[in-house]
Amino acid sequence: MKRFAYFPGCMIPARHPAMEFAIRETLAKLGIDIVDLEGASCCPDPIYFKSKDKLSWLAVAARNLTLAEDLGLDIFTNCSGCTATLSETYHLLQDEDLREKVNQRLARIDREYRGTSRVRHIATLVRDEVGYDKVRESVVRPLEGLKVAIHYGCHLLKPSRIMQVDNPDNPEVMEKLVEALGASPVRHRNWYLCCGKACQGEEIPNQMMHDLLATVNEEQADILGMICPTCFGQFDHGQMKVAKLFEEDFSTPPVYYFQLLAFAQGVPYDRLGLERQRFKPNCLRRYESQKSAAEVTSSASAGSGS
Amino acid sequence: MASQPDKNDVVRVDFAFKRELAEKIEGDLASYCYQCGACVGDCPASTYSDGAFNPREIMLMVLYGLGDELIRKGSILWDCTNCYNCHERCPQQVKPVEVIISLKNMLADRGFAPTATEKVITTFEETGRTVPPNPAIDKQRAKFGLPPLPPVPMEEITALFEAANDEGGAK
Repeated sequence: MKRFAYFPGCMIPARHPAMEFAIRETLAKLGIDIVDLEGASCCPDPIYFKSKDKLSWLAVAARNLTLAEDLGLDIFTNCSGCTATLSETYHLLQDEDLREKVNQRLARIDREYRGTSRVRHIATLVRDEVGYDKVRESVVRPLEGLKVAIHYGCHLLKPSRIMQVDNPDNPEVMEKLVEALGASPVRHRNWYLCCGKACQGEEIPNQMMHDLLATVNEEQADILGMICPTCFGQFDHGQMKVAKLFEEDFSTPPVYYFQLLAFAQGVPYDRLGLERQRFKPNCLRRYESQKSAAEVTSSASAGSGS
Repeated sequence: MASQPDKNDVVRVDFAFKRELAEKIEGDLASYCYQCGACVGDCPASTYSDGAFNPREIMLMVLYGLGDELIRKGSILWDCTNCYNCHERCPQQVKPVEVIISLKNMLADRGFAPTATEKVITTFEETGRTVPPNPAIDKQRAKFGLPPLPPVPMEEITALFEAANDEGGAK
């Protein structure tokens, strides 16, 4: 088992515990040993907190990184916002003057940032430490024929020099992860567009969401494949708002990737908290009524009962 | 773009504004901007505001030292979606979004941050989290076999804020 310190952040453990459940469930099956990071605070968030005071933002983030340094482990995140904050901190604190300033504050709590723990987003952790093939092998319920519109969001990929996740103009990690489930990834025309959550105005993000959902709709995708909990909120609760505002029915349920993976690995639909979403991915239920490949093999019966 | 004309109708550069911005982390990067406009094409806030929000123009205001245009209540800077496309596109590594965030720090120093921002900071100062813990959350977590939200050692968080205050406020 490979061991990594888990930095869950605020959004997923508090607002979307089903996502945390799915992460713990799926990573165990993929041979990743999760070490909980005791004493972690909010990353802190790269939008609101950072806009208030960059230096305090860095100091709190550096404190979180020292928790993993104490354990001698690399950190993995499940939220693009946390990834942005912690990766940017790792990057910025390579500057000696800035590191000195931050360490002066950390000295108050007997801590020192050393820069010895790397920050990995869970998607890259699975890509680089597990591999797509092993993900495919863990699937007992291939999601054949399921069209998944990919939404990368912004902070997973950009700024690419700092995040070092994938090519921001032509990424493939999400497509490959979705393909490993047997599903078909769809890159819609507005795949590059931001969810708009960080914009404080209303009109700009509403129009953006509308245009994004419209192109997803054109592709007749079954679900929207999500990797960021903030984008997820926009596309679940926010989709309702936008649909009402523009009097259009897009009805594309967003699904966080690791819940989809858990489902493909055989976790029952009803245990995944999907019924709590505003837009429920009921289309997944058809895979539950099919016998899984494993079940078919064990009962030595022919046919897959489509 | 409006300017601040003096009696001779000459733009006055607000050097105090430029110095203050330069003290913020990555606030001085606008100096490298040569106004190519690569940041504008992929800026969703620009596209969806018919150009009212324009990162190139914001960098120009910074270069000209037109602080009053940006540092005021209801500043257009809050329309930035933080998508980082400008950071990605800039050939000079100006990181316009970082300059914008540094400008937001200046707005926050003056009490001009939006309520949503202030609320997040207050919640963090009180709980160490962005989403405050409550029994309903722990009940939901229990449904998935997850333990209650672990506590955040607030004495450490508070000490970090005190350190910031002792340094004479945010920089």
